[in-house]
Amino acid sequence: MNTEFEWRSEMRKLGGAVEPARDLWPAIHARIGTAPARRRWTRPGLALAATLLVGLGAVAFAWRVQSSHVKKSVPDDGAFAVEAAPENLVPDHPVLAAAAQDLDDASTQLQQALEQRPEAVFLVGLINRTNSQRLRLLRQSANAG
Amino acid sequence: MDGAVLSLQPPVVEAEAPGAASALVRRAVAGDVAAFEQLYREHVGRVYGSILRLVAMDRARAEELTQEAFVRAWQKLSSFRHESAFSTWLHRLGVNVALMDLRGRREEENVDDAALESAAGGEIPFCAAERGDLERAVAELPPRARAVLVLHDVEGWKHDEISAELGMAVGSSKAQLHRARGLLRRALGGEA
Repeated sequence: MNTEFEWRSEMRKLGGAVEPARDLWPAIHARIGTAPARRRWTRPGLALAATLLVGLGAVAFAWRVQSSHVKKSVPDDGAFAVEAAPENLVPDHPVLAAAAQDLDDASTQLQQALEQRPEAVFLVGLINRTNSQRLRLLRQSANAG
Repeated sequence: MDGAVLSLQPPVVEAEAPGAASALVRRAVAGDVAAFEQLYREHVGRVYGSILRLVAMDRARAEELTQEAFVRAWQKLSSFRHESAFSTWLHRLGVNVALMDLRGRREEENVDDAALESAAGGEIPFCAAERGDLERAVAELPPRARAVLVLHDVEGWKHDEISAELGMAVGSSKAQLHRARGLLRRALGGEA
């Protein structure tokens, strides 16, 4: 092999497909499960979620003003940590229940986005805002009830 | 000499029937695991082969990294842009997984490029060797030198692509290639 061309021709012969000694698919399948491929979180999607949060916040605020005369049956002293907000509690009022569902969906999508982009600190803020709105809805539902 | 004057084509990628392959990819993107398994069956040999050469023919490690590559491919399917061949995208992803593993292991300290040049010897490679001898000699190269040699001489990457993926300067990539060839020549009994 005296030339670059001969050398690289020889080296190219080292390339090509090599079949693994065992079938790797079962292990791969076990890791990916049957969950669908993860949806890519786009900027428009994030913008939509943020818009949704603002809109729902407005609804919640209006509801709060309307029902401000009603007695409080849920403490409003910060005892409810956002992380501890029970996800399975749904407000009785259909409007608030629908808003709560939207917030749950938004929170799920934001958490998926955070898994994909763990460095995106702003997503943490959005998730906290979502959970905060969700908790506020529960309180207002209880106050109105 | 890094082969810039030669016009060897990149490794031949197996023919990919556009319609069928594209349909499989689209099904997989939509969450069809059976379609993804079919893609795995079609491409695992090429992905595994490239990874195997990068990890010095360590079959267990290559299997582990190949699994990781396909899991990541599944997770990133939606980011695949259909303007490039799926096989190219997947192969690149597999190589990147192996390179990330290489970087993470830090098996080799960074070496001064000038020292590499002086240690490598002449530029023209050496006398002919049996394929098995050549494979073994490549496997025994230091990790970064091996990675550059495999990517450049076997996989057909360019120095700017290699330098980007390995996080080194283009000059360092060329120096590592020079070093790798010199070490190979010594290993195979050529002059230093």
